[in-house]
Amino acid sequence: MLKDKLKHIYEQKYKTLLIIPILLVLLAIAQISIQYATTGDFVNKGISLQGGSTISFPLDSSITAAELQTFLNERFPQADITVRTISSAGTITGIAIDSDIQLDAEITALRAAIQEKTSLKTADISVEVIGSSLGENFFKQTFIALIVAFILMGITVIIYFRMLVPSLAVILAGFSDIIVTLAIFNVTGMKLSTAGVAAFLMLIGYSVDTDILLTSRVLKQHHGTVMERIYGAIKTGLTMTTTTLVAVAVALIFVKSDTIKQIMLIIFIGVLVDIIMTWIQNVAILRMYIERKHK
Amino acid sequence: MNWKALFTNWRVIMLLVFLLFAIISIQPHFSVEGVTIRSVALNSSASLAGIENPSAKLTPLQKERIVAIDGTPIKTIQDYYEATDLLPPNQTVRIETNRQIYTLRTQEKSELGLKVYPAPTSNLRKGLDLEGGTRVVLKSAEPATKDQIDLTIDNLKERLNVYGLSDVVVRAATDLAGEDFIIIEIAGVTEDEVKELLSKQGKFEAKVGNETVFFGGSKDITYVCRSAECSGINPQIGCSAFEDSYACSFFFSISLSPAAAERQAQLTQVLTEIPDGKNCYLDQELALFLDDKEVDRLKIGCELKGRASSNIQISGSGIGGTQPDAITNTLQNMKKLQTILVTGSLPVKLEIVKLDTISPSLGKEFLNNVLLVGVLAILAVVCVVFIRYRQAKVVIPMALTLLSEIILLLGFAALVGWNLDLAAIAGIILTVGTGVDHLIVITDETIGGGRATSDWKQSIKNAMFIVMGAYLVDFAGMIPLWFAGAGLLKGFAFTTIVGLSFGVLIARPAYAVIIEKIMHE
Repeated sequence: MLKDKLKHIYEQKYKTLLIIPILLVLLAIAQISIQYATTGDFVNKGISLQGGSTISFPLDSSITAAELQTFLNERFPQADITVRTISSAGTITGIAIDSDIQLDAEITALRAAIQEKTSLKTADISVEVIGSSLGENFFKQTFIALIVAFILMGITVIIYFRMLVPSLAVILAGFSDIIVTLAIFNVTGMKLSTAGVAAFLMLIGYSVDTDILLTSRVLKQHHGTVMERIYGAIKTGLTMTTTTLVAVAVALIFVKSDTIKQIMLIIFIGVLVDIIMTWIQNVAILRMYIERKHK
Repeated sequence: MNWKALFTNWRVIMLLVFLLFAIISIQPHFSVEGVTIRSVALNSSASLAGIENPSAKLTPLQKERIVAIDGTPIKTIQDYYEATDLLPPNQTVRIETNRQIYTLRTQEKSELGLKVYPAPTSNLRKGLDLEGGTRVVLKSAEPATKDQIDLTIDNLKERLNVYGLSDVVVRAATDLAGEDFIIIEIAGVTEDEVKELLSKQGKFEAKVGNETVFFGGSKDITYVCRSAECSGINPQIGCSAFEDSYACSFFFSISLSPAAAERQAQLTQVLTEIPDGKNCYLDQELALFLDDKEVDRLKIGCELKGRASSNIQISGSGIGGTQPDAITNTLQNMKKLQTILVTGSLPVKLEIVKLDTISPSLGKEFLNNVLLVGVLAILAVVCVVFIRYRQAKVVIPMALTLLSEIILLLGFAALVGWNLDLAAIAGIILTVGTGVDHLIVITDETIGGGRATSDWKQSIKNAMFIVMGAYLVDFAGMIPLWFAGAGLLKGFAFTTIVGLSFGVLIARPAYAVIIEKIMHE
C-alpha cells in the first residue's frame, strides 16, 4: 500500500528525507545569489522600495492598458513606465502605472497626460511617490530589523524551552522558510513592495506557530511514543495550515488591492514551504536530538 | 450544559467585561444624521459665525455635525453640496448643527469655508488608505536635535492650523540609523493642496499700515523668548474678571536685528499718540501676517514711537470661563504667536521623501472590498474547521472567539485614537490568522487526538504552554519593527502586538474554558 510505504519512509528514513529541505534551501540560496549577481539586488524591488511613483485609478472605458502604455511611452520616451491592470475575481477593476518618475513637475505632466486620454477627475487618481533615498533606507532598515527579530526570537525560544538544539531548530525552520519563500517569490517575477516586506515578517509568526506546537508536543508531553506525538502534532498543524491556505486563497481571488494581494501571495507560498520545514526538517532534527539524548 | 459554571468563570467574565468596554469605546451607531465638519478655514464665513475648527483630540463621534441648512435637512454629502452650491454672495445662511444654530453671511466668493465628510458611524478612525487623503514623509536635510524636530513639528501644526486643516496627524519618527522623519497625514486633502502648504515657506510679516516692519525668521527676529524669565502671564496686568468671564494678559520679548529696528523707528515716527488712561498707544496697530493671512493685531506702546529699539515686548490676551481656563487659553495664544514668529524659518530644512495620495473613491472601494474579503475568508475558515471537528459545539465558540478578538482590537484602536490603515489591516490579518491556529491547538489538546480527557487542567495547561510560547516569540519578533523603517512599519507592529496580546491573554483562555464547560459532560 502506498500509504504504508509513505509512512515507512517518513518514520524510518527521516534522515534521508532531510535532503528535501536542504536541497530547497541550497537552491534558494543559489537563486538569490544569481539574482544578486545579475541585478545587484537579492530581490526585485518595487517602487515603494526603490523610489519612483505609482499612479492608480479605477478602470475607464475610454482606453485600454495597452493603448495607454503605447501613448505614455511616446509622450515620455525618457521614463521607464509600466502600465498594469488591477483585477479582482478575474475582472479588471483598475489601472496602475509604475514609473521611475519622482519629480513633481513630471508627475503633474504624467497625470495631465492620463486625464487627457481618459474622462477621469483628479479625485479619482491616487498617486504614490517615493524618494529613492527613503526606499533604499527602508529596505536596509527592514533587513536589519529582520535579523534582530530572528536573534530576539531565538533568545525567547531558548529561554522558553531551556534546550539549545530544539530551540535552534525552531529558528532554523523559520529562517529556511523565509529564504525559500523569497527565492520562489523572485522566480514569479513580481516586484516586492513595502507591504510585501511586512508579509515576510508575518510569515515568521505563522512559521513559528507550527514549530512551537511540534516542539512542545514532542518534548514537553509524555503520553504515547515519540512518533504518536509527532502524528498528533501533524494533525493539529495541518488543520492550522489548511485554514490559513483557504483563507489566503479566498483573499487572493477576491481582493482588489495589489498590496494585500502581494501579502497574501507571500503567505501562501510561505505556509506551503513551512509544511516541509516543520514536518520534515524540524521533525528530523528533533528525532536525532532525542536519539542522541537516549544514548 | 452548565451555563452557570460558564458565566461565573473569571476568564469568561473578563472576556465579557473587555468586550463591553471595547463596544463602549467604539460606540457603533446604525445611522448618524448629517455631515461632519472636517475643518473650518480661517476668516471664512463659517469661522466668523463662530463655527470652530474641530480639535484633533475629538473622537469622530464628538465632532460637530451639520444637520440642516436654511431648514432643509442635510443627510448626505450630496445634500450639503446642493444646499451650498446655490448660495449667492452676501446672503444670510442658517446652519443648524447637532450643537447649535449659526447664522452665516456668505462672502463674495459665496464659499462658506467648510470642509465636510459623511458622518462617521463609530469612533473608529479610518486612516488614509480607507478614507482618502495625503501622506507626506519629510526628512530633515541635515542632522537635527530632538528639540529642533519638536519645534519643527509645532511649526508645521501651527501652519496647517492657520489654513484651517485640523484633521491632521503630524508626528515624528526615527529609524534604526537614528535618522529623523516627520510624517504628516491629512485626510480628505489632495496632493496639490498639501504641496502648496509645504512649499510655502511660512512667510511671516509684521506690518504697520501697508509697510512691512519685519519678517519672520532669524534675519529680522534674532531671538524669541520662550523661557519663564521673559515670557508668560504678565505680572503687572495679570488676570481680571470681565462680566461673567476672566481675561489674562501674556507677554514675551523678542529681539530684532538692527535693520529691522531701524525700519520700525521710521514707520512709527509718523504715527499719532492716543493716550488712554494710564496707557498710551499709537493710532495704528502692528498687524501680523502668516503667508499673507492676518493672524493677529497688536497695539504699539507710545514709548516705541520713533525709537530703534531692538528689544520689543509682544503682548496679548486670552479669555476663559474660569480663571484657570483663562490662564490656559492665554498661554496657548502666547505659544501660538511665538511659534508663528519663528515659523519663517523652520529650524531644520525639510525634504519630501515620500508622498502618497489616496483618492477618496479608491479608499472607500478598498474598505468595502477588504470587509467583503474578510467575511469570505472567515467563512472559508469556519468551513475547514467544521469539516475537521464536525461539531457546532466547537465551531460556534471558535467563530465567536475570533469575532471577539477583532472587536477587542478595534475597541482599543478607538480608545487610543489609532488610525486604521493598511498597516493596521495587515496586523489584524495576522492576529486573526494566529488566532485560528491557537484555537485549533487548544481544541486538539483538550478534546482531539482521542486521548483520555479526564485531566482537563493538564490539557489546558499544555495548550496554553504552546500558545504562550508562540505569543512570546511573535512578540519578540515585532519589537525591532517598532523602531525600523521610518515609522511606516510601526502601525503593523503595534496592531499585531496589541491584537496578539488581547487574543492570548483574554480571548483564547476564555475559549479554553468555554470548550471545557461545553464538552465536559
